[in-house]
Amino acid sequence: MTYVRENLEGLRKTVPAFVEAVMSSAGNRLSMSSSREGSVTATCDGQWVHSAYDPRKEARTWAEAQRCEWKEGELGIVLGVGLLYHVEALAAIKPSGSRLAVVIPDPSIMKDAASARPMGAWFTDVEWLWGSAQAIAEQLGAYSTPLRVLTYGPAARLDAEFHEELEDALRRAVSERQSGRLHVAVVGPIYGGSLPIARYAVTALEALGHRVSWIDHSVHRSSYDALGTYREARHSQIMQGRLAEILSLSTITRLAEDPPDLVLAIAQAPLTLAVLEHLRKKKFLTAMWFVENYRHLTYWQQLASGYDYWFVIQQGACLEAFTRAGARFVGYLPMAADPAVHKPLVLTKAERTEYGADVSFVGAGYPNRRALLPRWLSDEWTFRLWGNEWEGADDLASVLQRGGARIDAETCAKVFNASAVNLNLHSCGGDRLDPDADFVNPRTFELAACGAFQLSDERSLFPDLFTDQEVVRFRSVEDVPTLIRTWLKDPDRRRAVAEAARRRVLRDHTYEHRMKKLLTSIGVRQPDRIGSLLRGDREAGILAARAGFVPELSKLLRQFPPGQRVELKDVAAGIRATGAGRELKREELLVLLLDSYRAETRDLV
Amino acid sequence: MRRALMVQLARLGDLLQTVPAITAITAADPALEVDLLCPAPLAPIGRMLPGIATVLEWDGVVWNHCAKATGSGLQSEHLQDAERRIRMLAPRQYDCAYVLNQHPRALLAGALLARAMIGPRREGPLGGQLTPWAAYIREVAVTGRGRQVHLADALCGICGVQPSGRLAALRRASCALPGEWDEIGQSEGRWVGLIVGAGDVERVVPLDTWRQWIIRFLEQDPRGRVVLIGQEKERGGQLIDLLPPSVLGRLWDVTGRTSLTELAEVLVRCHRVIGSDTGPLHLAAALGVAVIGIYFARARVHQTGPYGSGHLIWQAGETRENMPMAAGSIRPIRWPIEETVAALVEGRIGRSEGWTVWDSHCDRWGAYYSEANHSPTPPYEREALWRNMCSVVR
Repeated sequence: MTYVRENLEGLRKTVPAFVEAVMSSAGNRLSMSSSREGSVTATCDGQWVHSAYDPRKEARTWAEAQRCEWKEGELGIVLGVGLLYHVEALAAIKPSGSRLAVVIPDPSIMKDAASARPMGAWFTDVEWLWGSAQAIAEQLGAYSTPLRVLTYGPAARLDAEFHEELEDALRRAVSERQSGRLHVAVVGPIYGGSLPIARYAVTALEALGHRVSWIDHSVHRSSYDALGTYREARHSQIMQGRLAEILSLSTITRLAEDPPDLVLAIAQAPLTLAVLEHLRKKKFLTAMWFVENYRHLTYWQQLASGYDYWFVIQQGACLEAFTRAGARFVGYLPMAADPAVHKPLVLTKAERTEYGADVSFVGAGYPNRRALLPRWLSDEWTFRLWGNEWEGADDLASVLQRGGARIDAETCAKVFNASAVNLNLHSCGGDRLDPDADFVNPRTFELAACGAFQLSDERSLFPDLFTDQEVVRFRSVEDVPTLIRTWLKDPDRRRAVAEAARRRVLRDHTYEHRMKKLLTSIGVRQPDRIGSLLRGDREAGILAARAGFVPELSKLLRQFPPGQRVELKDVAAGIRATGAGRELKREELLVLLLDSYRAETRDLV
Repeated sequence: MRRALMVQLARLGDLLQTVPAITAITAADPALEVDLLCPAPLAPIGRMLPGIATVLEWDGVVWNHCAKATGSGLQSEHLQDAERRIRMLAPRQYDCAYVLNQHPRALLAGALLARAMIGPRREGPLGGQLTPWAAYIREVAVTGRGRQVHLADALCGICGVQPSGRLAALRRASCALPGEWDEIGQSEGRWVGLIVGAGDVERVVPLDTWRQWIIRFLEQDPRGRVVLIGQEKERGGQLIDLLPPSVLGRLWDVTGRTSLTELAEVLVRCHRVIGSDTGPLHLAAALGVAVIGIYFARARVHQTGPYGSGHLIWQAGETRENMPMAAGSIRPIRWPIEETVAALVEGRIGRSEGWTVWDSHCDRWGAYYSEANHSPTPPYEREALWRNMCSVVR
């Protein structure tokens, strides 16, 4: 308590309520001790919040690393309070024209910090953000300056939930203001379950107004299959691997021809680590939406360090595993549905006859499904099984449709719409329900978007996505027949649940929602690149207004429609188109000169 | 006093090819103050060029950063920063810029730094039409066929002057070399600088060829010494690994460790310099050291041979005097090891299968090359081209 009054006195004029909150808080969340170097340091629940040896030196190192990213004019927002050594170090080297703010999730921690040591003049120059996560996010969302989030991990982890909530709220606030257009290159797989997801992502990005370059590798499927026909499996594997390498290089060539702001790969996209590293060297921003179960497909371990951003459909251990493997950023981005594809349908009588049943299941023949589905056949209801990879499932042969052929999305939607109860059993090995039941599969969202009733196995990530009133879940194999029986008897309740699920999907779970969240997550971390594009900072009208005091530049920019995104290359192309044979103005010469260097930075192939 | 700026933003060899143009311009107008704009890393050589008052250093790395900064949206600050950098280079505009590259950034730099521009394009940086001498250089670059006007002389043409017919020596103060390198050239015997690499991969002489060459030369000249020169330190090390220990005491390796000033010092301490990398070859020639050029791939003696008199050039391909050179890249089927060693040690120039050998000369129309062992005959075509161009230009 020696220093607290003295330290807070300077803030009393500007933020009196904050000072009062700190003073009246309990404090004592941190345990103080002396570092080897002599200055005070702290622990919380036995874990060090600052270095036990030299907290100032550690803070300087952290601050210098942050400074590399933090650009002039950005508002730096520090997450993690501790004893504020890191904030002090950052304040000492902050870029000119930039402001620094610190999020205070709990006034008690601030009290500990202010009590521990005397603070300098920097203490009154910092903005202190306190209150609920929502209130702070709204405050930050209202700023016109770009935001740069700077996380001091050892201290931030003490209030991890608060920070998560804040980031979510901030993303929402920023995404509501998204008006700018990006150029996103979406790199899809050669084949597989992630291929339709890639297409949905493309559609969603376009619907959000972004320009999309769709690098569709599914056109190479037949070649890939042909290379899989060698007698020896090893040969097939080698040759298919080589094709994937070629496609990786082909992707680079496409990117070089029309450089995007962001390369978004969808799981199984053929991009090698070497190519990803080359892209990073050339300053391309890359992201991967890994729409797979990370426990089953493990190639992400080799690629973790290659992408700038990973988005995964699992949480907890999955996020930790990616971070351990070298991922720079991992975010949770669950699956979704495309309401243009998965929607309520008015079916003809013939279609109802062809696709309808009391109970249906659509999906591939994974071991647990082969073991469990026969247990849910009954004389009490009709059952139809759709999908492929059911070879040898003799006890399901009587209900298997179309001889186990793969069905397309349109047919799926008809089946969903025509069935009274759609079973949704997440895949896994073994003969039981998935023991690691965490992520929610695309089928859940697609059924919901169709306004179809479903019975799904329980997943730990369900509560954030759907309530019990939106998707009915079963927790044991034995419960399923009873649930089927119950719900078959009650079409009105089925309809009510299904409609609620559809409303939820339309409100929260479309691919447009996902793409918006993905871009905002990147934008928050790249305020100078993706962030500024999303804010519309590169639209001709905004740029022209800012260039007011250089009239010639303003004039150059006003030649473009106000809402059009304009880059240096566009202005340079405009000058080139009209400049031959006339004397160029000085500003035009400078634009052309800068552009001659810009062109060099993307010399990729 | 009128002020002019030579703009040369290309590589070392190109910078040295500018010397005849500077000489001719200053001879034509002795009152003209001539400065040079060159890439910052080449500034030490720029300062050696005769007739240059001040060297302006063009820092490509900084300009790259400026261009990258616009990635966050083109703003007035970016142009103001660019303008500030131009003003820092030259607070006052020059009366005239002589631009010697066709690259847009050289033209733009010229247009920004000077009120008038003489260069490869007729109507400023975006003009589509080339001036006659620029068109000539472009045609030579595309077809590979020279009309026997050397590139350095064609640059004089671009500047609207005729070559003086002599190569003014570089201005250079001798300097000490670090450590054991200071022994280079100090003891008696024939010191040969051997350029181990080349900027362009297809112009690289195989290491085994250089291995054989060194062994053969040191056998033929018991007092001979070899200095390995060039930027490729690894290549220098690999070459040493290939050589028998018995020759290592007569070998110095300075590859990859010399500044340009030190490189110039090493070159002047050698009696001859041999290699295929035209940058250091031109530097040696400009420093007055006789060179043996090994020209193949896309290198053509008549276009970019070492300037001045007394140099020998082995040119791959069966080209004879007054015959056009083959276009495209020429890959030798054998290397003139014995022949170049014999020329160096005995002064004897014999036939070389797959190669022609040329002596360098200079006259009032600039540089020319005649077949070795023949009396020098200036090519008629060169004079005709100059006369024709002069009438067009004037």
